[in-house]
Amino acid sequence: MEFKQVVGNRRTIRFFDPNRPVEPEKIQVMLEAANRASRAVNADFAKAIVCYRDELTDEVREALKTPTTTVQIDLAPVTIFWYGDTTFVNGAQDRLKELVDLGALPVTHGWTHPYVDDLVYPQVLEPLSKDALATTWAVSVEAGLAIAQAMLAGVDEGLGVGLHAFNAAGAKDVLKVPDHWVPMWILLVGYPAEDPKGGGQRPRRPLSNSYYRGQYGTPWTEIPEVTERLKREGMIQDPMPADASERMQEIKQLADRFGLPL
Amino acid sequence: MTSQGIESQASVKQWAAGAGFDHDPAEVREDKLRILADFCTKVGKQPDELVAFCILRKKATGERFLSVKRREAINGWLDDFTGEQGWTGKQAVVNANVVRSFLIHNGVLIQGRVWRG
Repeated sequence: MEFKQVVGNRRTIRFFDPNRPVEPEKIQVMLEAANRASRAVNADFAKAIVCYRDELTDEVREALKTPTTTVQIDLAPVTIFWYGDTTFVNGAQDRLKELVDLGALPVTHGWTHPYVDDLVYPQVLEPLSKDALATTWAVSVEAGLAIAQAMLAGVDEGLGVGLHAFNAAGAKDVLKVPDHWVPMWILLVGYPAEDPKGGGQRPRRPLSNSYYRGQYGTPWTEIPEVTERLKREGMIQDPMPADASERMQEIKQLADRFGLPL
Repeated sequence: MTSQGIESQASVKQWAAGAGFDHDPAEVREDKLRILADFCTKVGKQPDELVAFCILRKKATGERFLSVKRREAINGWLDDFTGEQGWTGKQAVVNANVVRSFLIHNGVLIQGRVWRG
């Protein structure tokens, strides 16, 4: 699938076909996409535990559920628990110097081993690692980049995906995650039982609401030809119609199928 | 508690309006009300009290919040209830979710079992 079509097709899927297995090969594609994500100091910020619902014991499955996640976790054949590693500074000097040696961090931009050893590590990374707020910020941003790539790779593989919060305390016990991993999101994965397009793209505000040129207060001016091209190429798709009757009918059918409340 | 007896409760009216089951056939509506009434009898709470049970206030600020533990308690009671009623399979899921529908339409996000049959 073309990249713009993948971006345009992504929806948060909430109704998965619970009995259609997800191929491990496709999960590996998602993990590799995460592994290829941009990352500061070439660190492995993002950590993940892939759980196949039907491989979990009843005890573990129940421990992962909360009154706000039970339906999703029951419907999705795969749940990926994403964490961020707060020990990303460990080994940072060696990794940075490796990038210097490879020319990824070029001398033209001021990168040398002494710069890494004498400035970057002691004056930037080490203090950052001791600042809990800054660490959480860095880990969250960097893990988010990886999670986004995994999510889009899933869409590219024809899967449905959805990010949600989760019961971190319950998950920590049963997944046995180390203390230095901080919880991010769960990514539910499966084949959609609902229309993969979810009735249309979710409402979005125009670019000018959020994006600026030069300084805050000068909104980015949309180029109509680009907008039209993105519509043709699938990044911008028809929004959910104001008349939601068709979507509501679909929800009713899904509720009947899965015995869900209406 | 009877199905007729609970209809005057504000939370039940809100449920009926939100779920639109005022327009359902009489027997379907009656079934839903009876399930809720029987559950309320089991747990010894009126419908309005059941909703209130899920909502607590923070001691420091007085701010209202939905209690996870209370909702977990309700899910536990629902498991007991469906077992006591002898419901199995999809019927057990659907009927327990009637009670969850009541709570949901009163602002209590609660999820339970799914029929994957």
